[in-house]
Amino acid sequence: MLALACLPAIAEGFYFRDKVSWQSAIRASELVTVDTAKAWGESALWVDARPDEEYAQDHVPGAFSLNEDHWDELLAQFLPNWSPDRKVIVYCSAQSCNTARDVAKRLRESTQPPMQNVFVLEGGWEEWVKKK
Amino acid sequence: MDIIVGGIFVYAGILKLIDPVQFGLDIDNYKTLPWFLSVRLAFYLPWLEVFCGLALVFRCFYRGGLAILIALIAVFIGATIAARVRGLDITCGCFGHASQHWSFPQHMAVDLGIFVALGALFAFELIRNVNPGPDEWPRSSHRRD
Repeated sequence: MLALACLPAIAEGFYFRDKVSWQSAIRASELVTVDTAKAWGESALWVDARPDEEYAQDHVPGAFSLNEDHWDELLAQFLPNWSPDRKVIVYCSAQSCNTARDVAKRLRESTQPPMQNVFVLEGGWEEWVKKK
Repeated sequence: MDIIVGGIFVYAGILKLIDPVQFGLDIDNYKTLPWFLSVRLAFYLPWLEVFCGLALVFRCFYRGGLAILIALIAVFIGATIAARVRGLDITCGCFGHASQHWSFPQHMAVDLGIFVALGALFAFELIRNVNPGPDEWPRSSHRRD
């Protein structure tokens, strides 16, 4: 039975091969490096997905706090600053955290039509601090 | 009870088969496996659940299916408790979107309920082997009567 389940799983994996990122939970096209993000300069909006306390300690200059604890009120503060032509960079604590990915996903779905150009910062806040 | 428990696993497996990417993200949330393994398991485990569930429903490869499901649910309960202890806020993804907003006690209640039901099926199976019913008696004992 253990071997039998492999067969349809392989077939399904083949069917989904283009829809899945096999190496990273975030598609490569949705990731942005610190260097690239810095190069975007003022055209990009930064979103800090970490908890309020960590945001209060320090954050990327100009970044908006947007975490799932106070989603509605923080989103209301963020949206007036956003326009469809601006890129959005979301970050959380480190490479291993999932919150940036989740916030980016929620952001894309928060507007109608869905928000484009939402990226996750590779390495998160840790990487930003290293390259500051 | 075989049909009910088996049916639960078939249902849960099919929900995950529909969206393996989301299930991969749910496995990844436990932070115990690297992504390349999580995503591969996300394609494999739902099929395993469905086949084992069908094994219970149709009583075909029954013991194998039962043993695998007990192992799966035990690992899952362990992973859920470990995630809780590590302070991870996880969605189990056990029943697709339906279970997305379940609290930890709700997760545990459902998992333990299923674990107990599987344990009961296993116990019945053991008892059945030790004391086979009249239909399962060897032919020689019927002849003796």
